Amino acid sequence: MLWVDKYRPKTLDKVIVHQDVAQNLRKLVSEGDCPHLLFYGPPGSGKKTLIMALLRQIFGPSADKVKVENKIWKVDAGTRTIDVELTTLSSTHHVELNPSDAGFQDRYVVQEIIKEMAKNRPIDTKGKKGFKVLVLNEVDKLSREAQHSLRRTMEKYSASCRLILCSNSSSKVTEAVRSRCLNVRINAPMEEEIVSVLEFIAKKEGLQFPQGFAARIVEKSNRNLRRAVLTFESCRVQQYPFTNNQTVPPMDWEQYVSEIASDIMKEQSPKRLFEVRGKLYELLTNCIPPEIILKRLLFELLKKLDSELKHEVTNWAAHYEHRMRLGQKAIFHLEAFVAKFMSIYKSFLISTFG
Amino acid sequence: MENHILLCRPFHLPISRQKYSKEHFREREIGEAMDMEFPDAAELEWLEANATYPDEQEDDLEFDDDFLQQPPSPPGSEQIASQPDPKPTLSLPPKPSLLKPQLPINNRKRFLPDDPELSSDDGNVVVITEEKRSRVEDNDEDWLRYSPPKQPEEDGPMVVEQEPEPEEKILAKYALEIDGDCTPVTGLDGERVYAKICRVEDERVKKLEVKEYSTGLIQEPVRALMQRVEHDQFTKVLEASSEDLSEANLPIGAVVNEKLWVDKYAPSSFTELLSDEQTNRQVLMWLKQWDSCVFGVEIKSTTDDVLSSLKRHSLAVQHPRRSSKSSFGNSRGPRIDNENAHNDLHPENSDSDRMKDLWDKKHRKSGPPEQKILLLCGPPGLGKTTLAHVAAQHCGYRVVEINASDDRSSASIEAKIHDVVQMNSVNADSKPKCLVIDEIDGALNDGKGAVEVILKLVSAERKLRAGKENEPEGGNAGQKSSKKKHQKTSLLRPVICICNDLYAPALRPLRQVAKVHIFVQPTVSRVVNRLKYICNRERVKTSSIALTALAEYTDCDIRSCLNTLQFLNKKKETLNVLELSSQVVGRKDATRSAFDIWKEILQKRKVKQSKKSFNCFSSVSNDFETLHSLISHRGDYDLIFDGIHENLLQLHYTDPVMQKTVQCSDILGYSDIFHQYTMRTQHLSLQVYQSPLAMSIHGLVAQIGKPNIEWPKSFQRYRTMSIEKKEILHSWKNKIPPSISRHLSTKSFVEDLISPFLHILSPSTLKPVALHLLSEKEKADLAQLVNTMVSYATTYKNIKSDPSRFMHHGASDVSMLSLDPPIGEFINFKGYDSCHIVLASAVKVFLVHEAERQKILQGSSNLHSPSTGAESQEVLRCENSSTMSKASASLDKTTHFRDPSRQKQFDLPSASGQNKRSAGGTTASGKVGLPEGKKKQFVDSRSFFDRFRKPSDKTPQGNDHAKLKQKLEERDSRPLLFKFNEGYTNAVKRPVRIHEFLK
Repeated sequence: MLWVDKYRPKTLDKVIVHQDVAQNLRKLVSEGDCPHLLFYGPPGSGKKTLIMALLRQIFGPSADKVKVENKIWKVDAGTRTIDVELTTLSSTHHVELNPSDAGFQDRYVVQEIIKEMAKNRPIDTKGKKGFKVLVLNEVDKLSREAQHSLRRTMEKYSASCRLILCSNSSSKVTEAVRSRCLNVRINAPMEEEIVSVLEFIAKKEGLQFPQGFAARIVEKSNRNLRRAVLTFESCRVQQYPFTNNQTVPPMDWEQYVSEIASDIMKEQSPKRLFEVRGKLYELLTNCIPPEIILKRLLFELLKKLDSELKHEVTNWAAHYEHRMRLGQKAIFHLEAFVAKFMSIYKSFLISTFG
Repeated sequence: MENHILLCRPFHLPISRQKYSKEHFREREIGEAMDMEFPDAAELEWLEANATYPDEQEDDLEFDDDFLQQPPSPPGSEQIASQPDPKPTLSLPPKPSLLKPQLPINNRKRFLPDDPELSSDDGNVVVITEEKRSRVEDNDEDWLRYSPPKQPEEDGPMVVEQEPEPEEKILAKYALEIDGDCTPVTGLDGERVYAKICRVEDERVKKLEVKEYSTGLIQEPVRALMQRVEHDQFTKVLEASSEDLSEANLPIGAVVNEKLWVDKYAPSSFTELLSDEQTNRQVLMWLKQWDSCVFGVEIKSTTDDVLSSLKRHSLAVQHPRRSSKSSFGNSRGPRIDNENAHNDLHPENSDSDRMKDLWDKKHRKSGPPEQKILLLCGPPGLGKTTLAHVAAQHCGYRVVEINASDDRSSASIEAKIHDVVQMNSVNADSKPKCLVIDEIDGALNDGKGAVEVILKLVSAERKLRAGKENEPEGGNAGQKSSKKKHQKTSLLRPVICICNDLYAPALRPLRQVAKVHIFVQPTVSRVVNRLKYICNRERVKTSSIALTALAEYTDCDIRSCLNTLQFLNKKKETLNVLELSSQVVGRKDATRSAFDIWKEILQKRKVKQSKKSFNCFSSVSNDFETLHSLISHRGDYDLIFDGIHENLLQLHYTDPVMQKTVQCSDILGYSDIFHQYTMRTQHLSLQVYQSPLAMSIHGLVAQIGKPNIEWPKSFQRYRTMSIEKKEILHSWKNKIPPSISRHLSTKSFVEDLISPFLHILSPSTLKPVALHLLSEKEKADLAQLVNTMVSYATTYKNIKSDPSRFMHHGASDVSMLSLDPPIGEFINFKGYDSCHIVLASAVKVFLVHEAERQKILQGSSNLHSPSTGAESQEVLRCENSSTMSKASASLDKTTHFRDPSRQKQFDLPSASGQNKRSAGGTTASGKVGLPEGKKKQFVDSRSFFDRFRKPSDKTPQGNDHAKLKQKLEERDSRPLLFKFNEGYTNAVKRPVRIHEFLK
């Protein structure tokens, strides 16, 4: 097991980061009434961990015993039946599912499958809880229609079923859904918090690390707790005892993006743009989401840029990201951003250096 | 061609004399039939002169020869005739060697049109009996009037002169009256006259030349000849048309105009084809390669020099079949003489000959061409169909056409193709067929049917050939295989397919097997020349500028040009250069291939100087129009923009601060958003606005230089690859136990997990040494690593080495171990050097072993440790005792079931035996053989008295179960005893858990 999994807090008492949230959640459970919840926050901040701990708090250790089921649901959609394949992860008390996996058919997942699950009252009424929990992951990726279909389900079956929604950004969850939930914001842990987590792990593993080493890892981790722990472990594997100047292995794709950025800075021409396109395709092919590429690329470019251009470039990056989300072919927009940057940068160079 | 004009003048004979002579003749015919010199011949000639004259000139020639041999004319007249005749009879001085007697007639002249295309002979002799004059005259008048429609291809205008010429005599009572050669002619009623023989000399020479060409005896290459002939034709035509247009009185009837010019002036011979010379020749070449197969004879005339001259122009041809002596395939049906091959017909080969031929064939590979199907493609109106027809006819085939109007379902077309392609017609004299499948790309499903059938035929042929190669060589084998050939279906006739869009999806398989010829536009000058010629023939006044403009406007679509011209002619309008677009009738609504569209967008059209001079402005708007219509006709905007995106950055446009590039990529982005929006909202009418987007790109970056356009592959590749990789991630995630995987999404895999995970999996400290040599700490590390591997369901697997993937370490290994869900690939970006340490393969092997062990141990400990919680205990119980409990349950059941029956058969002597047997049977069915003794005991305890104890036993079911379980536990704890029974498979069987071995 990786340390990420090994030292993942299993209960709400043991959490190190977001202790205040955990406190509130515990209170919520102890009062016996749990509303619908919407957890949102950046990746690697501990949403899932909190949710699992919460489930354990509600249902006891039996919530940990889960089994995976891959099932094809037959959904009757008016004139035809649609087969929707969905993987669910369920214990006796709760079901976890990722409705956005169904792609454009997510509406049917919400309308039929979730409704079906929500309708059925839990069989084990002897237990202390009279409701079951549905955990829906990546709600922000649900289509608008699916989210609309979710609203009524949330209200109608709230007696027997609680929904726990989990998403990266609350802005992509419709107002209607948000207002039906208790919103729990899980922000990215502060750097000090991450350092304390690393220290906790080091203590458990019996490791010593020099001053500032943890801070370096955390700095690289972009306030992503999971990444920090993983990086820490990889450092441990590569070299132990730690030294102060030990290289912290970077994320490969981030490294690649920074290579692209330096390519862009070196030369601005359609030919270079074509090379950049090839590299962007490489990243996209390896399932790196285009938004993240764009964000990272901007980040890398800003590092190398004069401050007077930063504002403009950021503005354009936002512009192209917006268009990317409107459109379909991410590469067009990524490339358009790169072209725009090249143009801005080149004219800047010409104006300053003649 | 020269115009031959023979003047005929009406006789001025008194009718009474005519009548008299008729009667007189008849009497003489009866009485003095024997005296007639050539009564039959004359009669025949007379008939022909009246009825079938223009078509049967060959016969006339024979008669002429007959007459020549018979010397009725004084030798002195030859001299006279050889003098050029100054009078307007227009009969030219004949060549001395081919002289014919000429008979002057007192006051009548007749002139015959000569058909340059059809006539194989030229010595037009007019022999007219004066008795039938009046009737003949009428006939002739009619005939003259209707002759033009009969011969639409006639080149020169025909002049009819009607003014009398009293001096010249063609037909006379006495030979002396005739000036020049003459021949005696006897009419039906017996009267003899002498007819003047006049002929035209240069015509004959030309005919001979033509003949020479067809027999292939000339020294000049075909190409030169063809060029010359073509050139001659054109110059003549031009001359003729420029001479005078005064032949307005030529009686071209209404019949002519009803025919479409397109049909009327369709080329009927190979030399008249307008399409690209090289393509024409390649097609002809390909057809010629069939000769040995189809006609069964080698064509001497198309041997070496001709073929090589053809080959010189058809560069793409791979294996030109030289004609060899062998005549393979002559056993197939009757031999058909080719028009080009009349000089050597092989006699029927004997069997041994044929075997030899087969042998020959194997070595020389003479036979049908490698690619059995010819695929002609190109935009409409360039003459693909015409070429196919003309070429096939030229090579002596009868064309069978299947086009979109026919039923093209798979079944019906198959029958048709089989008919055409595999059968020879019964009549020996009929020509072999050549299949032309027109518009094969037409309808999607229909075209597919045809394509499938053809592919089936081709593949059958391939198999056959392959089979033949394998067969041992030799006489018998050869014969057998030739027999086989008859049975199997194979292509024996050329098949020409015609399509407009080569890249139609239905044609994809066909493209691979067929020989593809892409039609290019004929040069404008060629088209204009032909148009001019036709205009002259039709007496339409045009200017070559207008025609050039027309040809350019229609993209050299000659059909469209002709239709337009004819239409305008009907409307009595003239072609106007400035209003061309409004005048052209059938503007092509052709969808061009995506490649063409990309080319149009990315390439600027060369603006001709002339065009620029008079309307620069309109040409710009013209370009705009054409581009717009082009793009919107195609409609597949998604693809178009993909293509633009793919090729945009390869263009060489000047762009100092990347302004244009930014604009273009912005436009591409817009189109993407646009597309997404229209698709989402289904407002498809908004698609109209896509084409202006493409056009603005054209305005920004179009260059005059020819762009190197590629099909947009990278986007598709990206799509498929990313789907593939997502699938890998998904399956990996599913393999990871849920307690871990529930915290991860596939997105976080690539973003956060994989890079550090790979680091963790390949620690640099790990040494490939035996386990007992490691220190405690190293052992702990190793255990941790193995644990991680197991929990994340990764392992190493043997794969074929891919040098591109593992460049940095020993690519020399044939196969090497790599991570099983191929996670390593996710960080293998092109041109990126990751700093991951790659473990030595020895370590990997070791790790795999350890991981497997760990997995097994984990699995078994999961089952056996009682401390894993309620659930696992349940599983344990279920797993551990499932087989046993099943067995015991079945045992119980059978005994319960048997009890009543046993009670009935209480006294049966076989009871105990049966009991035993049944007990044995149940244990066998339980699959778990209990130890022998226990079984015995079990059975014994139930044997006789137990029966009465049963009810009491049955009630405490759980008790029974517990007892059984106890027994099982007892058994499990017992040490193993194996007894090996030599030669038996029913050795002692006992379930053994792996952990017992691993302890």
